[in-house]
Amino acid sequence: MERGKTAQLSLAGATSPSLALALVLTLVALVLAALMIGPFPIAPLRIFAVLAGGGEAQEQIVIWNVRLPRVGAALLVGAALAAAGAAYQTLFRNPLVSPDILGVSAGAGLGAVLGIFLSLPVALIQLSAFAGGLAAVALVWLVAGAVRHADPILVLVLTGVVVGALAGAATSLLKVLADPYDQLPAITFWLLGSLAAITSADVWPALPAVAIGLVPLLLLRWRINVLALGDEEARAMGIEAGKLRLWVVAAATLVTASVTAIAGVVGWVGLVIPHVARMLVGPSFGRLLPVSIAIGAGYLLIVDTLARSIARSEVPLGILTAVIGAPFFIWLLARGRRAWS
Amino acid sequence: MIRVLVALTLLLASAPLAARTVTDSAGRQVEVPERIESVFAAGPPAAILLYVVRPEALVGWPRALRPEERAYIAPPYRDLPETGRITGRGGEANLERVLAIQPDLIVDFGSVRDTYIDLADRVQAQTGIPYLLIDGRFEATPGSLRLLGEVLGVPERGERLAEAVEATFARLDGVLAEVPEEARPRVYLARGPAGLETGTRGSINTEIIERAGGRNVAEAPGRGRIVQASIEQVIVADPDTIVTWDPIFYGRVFEDPLWSQIAAVRLGRVYLAPTAPFGWIDRPPSLNRMMGLVWLAGLFYPERWKGDLAKETKDFYDLFYHVDLSDTELETLLRWSEGRPPN
Amino acid sequence: MSLAAENLAIGYGRKRIGEAISLTVRPGQILCLIGPNGCGKTTLFKTLMGLLPALDGAVRLDGDPLPRLGRAEIARRIAYVPQSHAPPFPYAAFEIVLMGRTARLGLFAQPGPADRRAAEAALARLGIADLAGQDYTRLSGGQRQLVLIARALAQEAPLMVMDEPTASLDFGNQAAVLAETASLVRTAGAEGRGVILSTHDPDQAFALGAEVLLMRAGRVFGQGPPEEALTGESLSAVYGVPVTVERTESGRLVCAPRMAR
Repeated sequence: MERGKTAQLSLAGATSPSLALALVLTLVALVLAALMIGPFPIAPLRIFAVLAGGGEAQEQIVIWNVRLPRVGAALLVGAALAAAGAAYQTLFRNPLVSPDILGVSAGAGLGAVLGIFLSLPVALIQLSAFAGGLAAVALVWLVAGAVRHADPILVLVLTGVVVGALAGAATSLLKVLADPYDQLPAITFWLLGSLAAITSADVWPALPAVAIGLVPLLLLRWRINVLALGDEEARAMGIEAGKLRLWVVAAATLVTASVTAIAGVVGWVGLVIPHVARMLVGPSFGRLLPVSIAIGAGYLLIVDTLARSIARSEVPLGILTAVIGAPFFIWLLARGRRAWS
Repeated sequence: MIRVLVALTLLLASAPLAARTVTDSAGRQVEVPERIESVFAAGPPAAILLYVVRPEALVGWPRALRPEERAYIAPPYRDLPETGRITGRGGEANLERVLAIQPDLIVDFGSVRDTYIDLADRVQAQTGIPYLLIDGRFEATPGSLRLLGEVLGVPERGERLAEAVEATFARLDGVLAEVPEEARPRVYLARGPAGLETGTRGSINTEIIERAGGRNVAEAPGRGRIVQASIEQVIVADPDTIVTWDPIFYGRVFEDPLWSQIAAVRLGRVYLAPTAPFGWIDRPPSLNRMMGLVWLAGLFYPERWKGDLAKETKDFYDLFYHVDLSDTELETLLRWSEGRPPN
Repeated sequence: MSLAAENLAIGYGRKRIGEAISLTVRPGQILCLIGPNGCGKTTLFKTLMGLLPALDGAVRLDGDPLPRLGRAEIARRIAYVPQSHAPPFPYAAFEIVLMGRTARLGLFAQPGPADRRAAEAALARLGIADLAGQDYTRLSGGQRQLVLIARALAQEAPLMVMDEPTASLDFGNQAAVLAETASLVRTAGAEGRGVILSTHDPDQAFALGAEVLLMRAGRVFGQGPPEEALTGESLSAVYGVPVTVERTESGRLVCAPRMAR
């Protein structure tokens, strides 16, 4: 955005308190608005009464069992994907990187599709997705580590592409084999991402997993920043680049796999949101990370609220994030890379 | 398979109205209200089942009816709103919309495997609306009809439908008892405009072929499923009967040199199934297949199967779909079943 | 404090690029590394900083062999000034300089007021305090090089490795960067630094009065004060073109390639 402003903020060295306040207030307003919106007729201001424990039984169910878990899940998923995206873009020194660069989504997709194919209970499908995401990235890491090459990051990314493609092929195979009435629609819907089926029972296990992943990213935020200058310089400035990269990849993978397990594959958030955050507060990771988290949470909340209210039936999240994200990204490109160079 | 119906009326001090506990096809104990006036269909097969058993209770179609389908649905139910499939069955219905409709019950008809048991439990816990899973396999049809009739408070209707299905099954079994396995037609189900999609033996899509006494030429190990076949495989399998519902495929199969040497084409035994209001042989796999069963039996065993297709069609649409077919409508369906679809 | 290499062999993995290299740098000293492209200067630098393992021989920092020191410990003793480059994101120049403080921060720590003061002081020292808030990616090559030197200053390491600090700079900026480098070394007392820099311009060695390490094909071709190491003969041999070294009227030595007629 404005160069002068960025510079000022950089010198201040911290996110300006007014921006932080604005983000928090916006999030609160979005949460309240999302709780008020939905096809079930509840007067907007009545939600406060229902939240306080009043209202009719039906209203209690709608607010507490349907809208609140979805709002919570949307915040969690958006925050997690944006954080992972910001971390990866800094780590890989590339603004075109998204959290699934190392195959976490492809792996989680394969895990979930396998679970659906085997007709497992939902919790096991989610566990299978989570395990698939972790396994794919672990495989990428091990294979890339075994390849000796002068540019470890390039090897990592290429291995990620390869493993992702393999997982995608296996997913396609399972789709071909799947029962077209029972399983195929479920698979397709899952791969496009959706919070339609979310219950609080899904959100609770994902919450600590995401928190555990975000903690190292927040604690190491200064060092992650330095990695953006490249391995050699970072090492010359006293950073164990290889070890730090492992930590960041592990944390981002944990975060992404956790939310992908409950929400399916939601694209574009991790790619686009860090750009928006960078336009607001500049590239310094210490500010980029919290601001990305806040904007990502708010953005996915808006998108999910649209997903459940614009049509008579649910629109998959992946479709909406692409429809909104892709033109925005083109616009970023048209601005002549100024957002990142 | 035993269709167990346990409709116990439990006297619970806390229950507001007299509630019953029902055991569904998955063995789940579900508490349902004594009187059920509105039911949400989780997917297309369930919608057809509900429409057949008690249309007054159906709150909407998973997808709105198409114009060509509307004529074959009784007028009051043609215009029911579109409700979407429920979460998990493809999952595009919005739970809040389900809640806003306030149905007394949600019914799903089809697979009763773990994933669906779990999904049913989740939706039930989340919405507080009882959710029944009913077995969708062909053989289970009479039991499923009785179960739903009992639950919806129309046990006589359920019984009557179940008996009709059982009668058809029994007639068929009578015919098939005299036909050794080797003498049965070798059937290929052609799906898709190229006709190269098919269901392997044991799949829900081809159940009807086996039930009608055909031998499915598409075989694969494991549970049946939809597969892509190559024309070469079809030529090698050389089915003597081909069944399809795709008018595009049907329109070109007799002209296509690739298909010309296949026995079914040479013998003129390629059959087009009508699809109004629902497919006769599949699409979706629900009670609509009972119509196709009668039709296929006549095609497979023209000598042995004694039946008047026109009368049986009229009776089926009357009993199952609540429509009294006009002569023109009946004519349209019959011509369709002879390979001349409307338009 | 000293950086010493003994009988060092350098290279990547099994590929040996140079060997039998010995050198020492102390605060107050400049060592000028001169040699044609591909002679192994950058590989030598990476090995001296422990970014590449030595294939043979050893590098010692204050007597400690490099492999025994952690990255942070090395970074507190040697700062690295890479050739000016553009990072993928538009960090402010101040942030780039502040990153030099990393080796002095705890694992989870953020730079504090003292670190900010050190970064400000480094910028002021080089006379570029006004660049602090500007995007590093939008600075000119010379400005970037100065920012990178400021970062090395903020790192507060007694030794500094500079990889062709004047490459791709215009004439004026070359002079400015050299002058700053010289002044860093000449500062008296504990503030004085030891610098090892590589250059394509032998005149800079004369100008800086630096020790010279003349390299050819991964081996030391000449070593010592510039007047001894850089002769017409040695330069002609190393670069493969005839070179003469002449004394100007002011008494300074300059070298010039002889143009073929």
